[in-house]
Amino acid sequence: MKLTRIAGVSLAVLLGTTVLTSAQTITVAMSPPSVETNRYWNTPGDFNLGPAMQGLVGHDPVTGMYDNSGLAESWSHNDDFTEWTFTLHEGAEFHFGYGPVTAADVVHSHTLHTGEDSTLIGVAQLKDVAVEALDERTVKFTLPRPQIDFLFAHGGRGSLVIYSKAQYDAEGLEGYDTRPAGTGEFQFVARNIGQGLTFERVENHWSGRDAEVERLVLRFIGEPATALATLLSREADMAVLPRELQPDAINAGFEAIGSSNAANQTAMLFNGTFLTEGDDKLDPTLPWLDIRIREAINRAIDREAVIDVLYDGRASILPVFGMDPRHEGYREDLAEMFEEYYGYDPERAMALMAEAGYPQDFENPVIPILSSNLAGNPEFPTMAELMQVFLDEVGFQTEIVELDWAGLGALRRAREARLFHPMRNMPVKPSAVGIGNYYASSGRPNVNYEDPVIEELNTLYAASTDPQEREELAGRIFQQAFEQYAVAPLASLSAEIMVNPETVAGWTFPGVTSAGISHFNLIEPQ
Amino acid sequence: MLTFLFKRTLYALISLLVITLIVFSLSHLSGNPLDALLPDDATPQQIEQVTRHLGLDRPIWVQYLTFLQNAAMGDFGDSLKWKGQTAAEVVWERLPATLQLGGLALLISIVVALPLGVMAAVYKNTALDAVATVIALLGQSLPAFWLGLVLMWIFAVMLGWFPTSGYGGLSHMILPAVAMAWFQVAALTRLTRSAMLEVLDAEYIKLARVKGVRERRVVWKHAFRNAAIVPVTYFGVLAGSLLTGSVVIETVFNWPGTGWLAITAIQGRDFPVVQTVVLFFAVLFLLANLIVDILYALIDPRIRNT
Amino acid sequence: MSRRALRRLPLVPILLLFLVLIIPAFLATWIAPHDPYISNLRARLQPPVGFGGSWDYPLGTDRLGRCMLSRILHGAKYALGISMVGIAIGAILGTALGLISGYLRGWVDVIIMRLVDITFALPSILLALALAAISGPSLGLVVLVVVFVIWGFFARQVRAETLSLRERDFVARARVAGASGGRIVLRYILPNIMNTIIVLATLQIGVVIILEATLSFLGIGIPRPAPAWGLLVADGRQLIVSNWWISLFPGLAILLTVLSVNLIGDWLRDWLDPKLRQA
Repeated sequence: MKLTRIAGVSLAVLLGTTVLTSAQTITVAMSPPSVETNRYWNTPGDFNLGPAMQGLVGHDPVTGMYDNSGLAESWSHNDDFTEWTFTLHEGAEFHFGYGPVTAADVVHSHTLHTGEDSTLIGVAQLKDVAVEALDERTVKFTLPRPQIDFLFAHGGRGSLVIYSKAQYDAEGLEGYDTRPAGTGEFQFVARNIGQGLTFERVENHWSGRDAEVERLVLRFIGEPATALATLLSREADMAVLPRELQPDAINAGFEAIGSSNAANQTAMLFNGTFLTEGDDKLDPTLPWLDIRIREAINRAIDREAVIDVLYDGRASILPVFGMDPRHEGYREDLAEMFEEYYGYDPERAMALMAEAGYPQDFENPVIPILSSNLAGNPEFPTMAELMQVFLDEVGFQTEIVELDWAGLGALRRAREARLFHPMRNMPVKPSAVGIGNYYASSGRPNVNYEDPVIEELNTLYAASTDPQEREELAGRIFQQAFEQYAVAPLASLSAEIMVNPETVAGWTFPGVTSAGISHFNLIEPQ
Repeated sequence: MLTFLFKRTLYALISLLVITLIVFSLSHLSGNPLDALLPDDATPQQIEQVTRHLGLDRPIWVQYLTFLQNAAMGDFGDSLKWKGQTAAEVVWERLPATLQLGGLALLISIVVALPLGVMAAVYKNTALDAVATVIALLGQSLPAFWLGLVLMWIFAVMLGWFPTSGYGGLSHMILPAVAMAWFQVAALTRLTRSAMLEVLDAEYIKLARVKGVRERRVVWKHAFRNAAIVPVTYFGVLAGSLLTGSVVIETVFNWPGTGWLAITAIQGRDFPVVQTVVLFFAVLFLLANLIVDILYALIDPRIRNT
Repeated sequence: MSRRALRRLPLVPILLLFLVLIIPAFLATWIAPHDPYISNLRARLQPPVGFGGSWDYPLGTDRLGRCMLSRILHGAKYALGISMVGIAIGAILGTALGLISGYLRGWVDVIIMRLVDITFALPSILLALALAAISGPSLGLVVLVVVFVIWGFFARQVRAETLSLRERDFVARARVAGASGGRIVLRYILPNIMNTIIVLATLQIGVVIILEATLSFLGIGIPRPAPAWGLLVADGRQLIVSNWWISLFPGLAILLTVLSVNLIGDWLRDWLDPKLRQA
């Protein structure tokens, strides 16, 4: 009797905990970040405290261009781009009463982010940089070499997020671990490991732009089918879903909201194509060292089918991996010549293969295609199978190699990833970063293609501070990559999120972060 | 008895030592934490710096001995992925979630399997036996992740009876626990059935029947009581399958327990956490079996000599 | 075979096993309507017959337009192959060590039984994940994990039976007659535990097929594009709502096979195991 009563009570208590949802809460289901921590510098860059934490520079929600919606009200640089001075917004303040944002906070955050435990993406942009507080609201960065793209280090996918020095002095890193004070429109409420993050709106935010949503919950869900289930059962108001699951949500009455700009580029890389003389990591038996093979593979790929199969038809064909109209060196002419150089043409592919003597003249004719899982790109395994279908069709010998993304990372770090493997450029990075990552030895060890022409151009490009000259050099690098079939570019696409139109009226975000979504203060609830 | 106890404990400790060696070498062979921790554009300087910071530049046997020494003191190192916490803390924090789910699953499987097994034995070789066997076997005949997803779609999305996933109260636990329990039901039903068959055949049961004791009383009071001991031995095995089962189910239902932790840690090459979680379950398993051994020895003295 | 055993012969499971696993495994090349690897991008995600699909693809197609029926039929090879190879290696290894352990006893026994303890104490899935991280997933890895998971069951069971058999009169007589240890084990003990091994091996087939599926779910199973059943279910699980046939049919193949194998195993045990035969 007594026992059943206790059981009944505890049942009620247990069940009761699940119905605490208020109308003003918006829940977003998304992939878990690779590292769950409040310390940005301990992540590889996929940070989920975006609603609460800010960098110096913000982005326009529509164009994605840098603007002063971050902590800096304005900035300037000297002629050779080695000195950058930022002026902070007056009245910008930290959450939880940690006071105004000052130049000292910027200096402190820079020290944290460039420490020896920093695993942060792009942190090279901030290394060996002297940061000096000129006064309360002015801070100067002195760089060892010119950086025209220095603002990238401070924007949406930047490498510097401003933490409170006052909180650090009072509580140390533990203070950040339990409740980090940020400056964004939302403030931190809780982090539940493996589950997600909860934020609440800051009333009367210093920027004057209060968020419309009272409470924001980011829910981390690794299994895409589970994420879809949370959306369809209306547990989540929004969900980041693989493209192939989106029709299921659309059929059930949900709507897709896309980033206002392309947020992601995908490609297959001919890794190991190191064409600079005397590279000891060059494997001379790699079949794609022959440009005719690289062209043949590109010709064998039906990119419209790729976009249909992998991206539910909502993407555009990418002319050069790493090139984008928003960044330096965009060449309209390359985009126009794409069909001529890269258009789907199995016969031409077969002719090129015959001309190259494939397979009889190749010591190692097998094309190893990597199938891997990368959070945020669930289409990669299907992409591998699709590539195999295309290559088999024109007569290539192929095999699928499976490795997890960290395993590929190990090979790339050793410059031994001799694979035809998928890669993404998300968010689409400035041209100098992209060129370093994919085409030039300056980005070693993680480079997949190098040749003497690009090396020479890139040396000039890295040293140049003349915008016009840089535009020209970047364009020539992209042209060389294009003409050499350095990679197999596939698609350019926006970041999309599925929303429940009953609870979310709209949202505008530019697609400038690693997760694609940002500007949570602009979510419009119904 | 004391020698027996001493010997068994010594064996368990030696096994544990070998396990630490296997776990340590496997996790270190499986790659470098840097591969998962560092971004795609890491520079050589950054790689070198983080390597040194994590102490990965020391010889591997030095790392092993350090690990062993620290582990003996209960220190398993700092988590690489969950910065700011030790590996032991990370595992300890996830443990209640796994135990809750595993406990409920165990409860469900007992409640279902015992009656099913008894029924199958009493109605041996009838249609009822066949039905009971097939129901029990179903859980073992489907991949757990698929069963989990199907349950989720039917009961959470279509019917809306339960939440789809995530950590929470009893309502969150039902679907994953059922998916987990179903797998165990098969083995438990079979054990109960064969134990019951054996007991129902025993002399004292026949005697009870001859004496005119009612059949229901014979089955439940006399036979079941004696047969119930056999399935209990199964719990030793269960300790081992707890983690294995939870890896899949916790991933599907986004349940932040140790199974979820283990897979996340391996993908992130977080050695300290991987080692801690595997060692924890190895100790649990060895301990459970040590206790079973000792219990057996207490019941049946002959075992001590073998 | 006794009359009673024959009467209870599990006909339906045997028939199902032939239909789903054995016949396709050997004849898939001839009976499958399509090449399981050839994709037809114009016929992607076709539903099965009766759900809007056509007889061209009776069980529909997957996301690359490959015939599901053909893939499932060819997948039988992987299910059968992995179980046969994995279980054969595991059974031989486990039986050999179990015989040695039980016959020699002493420190050899102690070491072998500790090895069994260790393999049971190490979570096999995590071991597989770690191994896959080293060398990447492969067919060989799946077999290795299968062997690792099952050899201990054979070793333990065989040891227990050897322990009791070696005390029996006929073994003692052979020993007095001067038979060597190896001869006693092979001639007198092994034949007497053959039944146990057969029953155990049959019951492991289901374990292996489910294990393969679990490994595929974790991304470390048989590498694509092989149409292994577990991989098909794991790959199709995302599309469980609108394109349910991609995971349902391979799932059914797994279900029917494992169910049949277990029912046959139960029957074999009733028939072969002396204790239950008397009952």
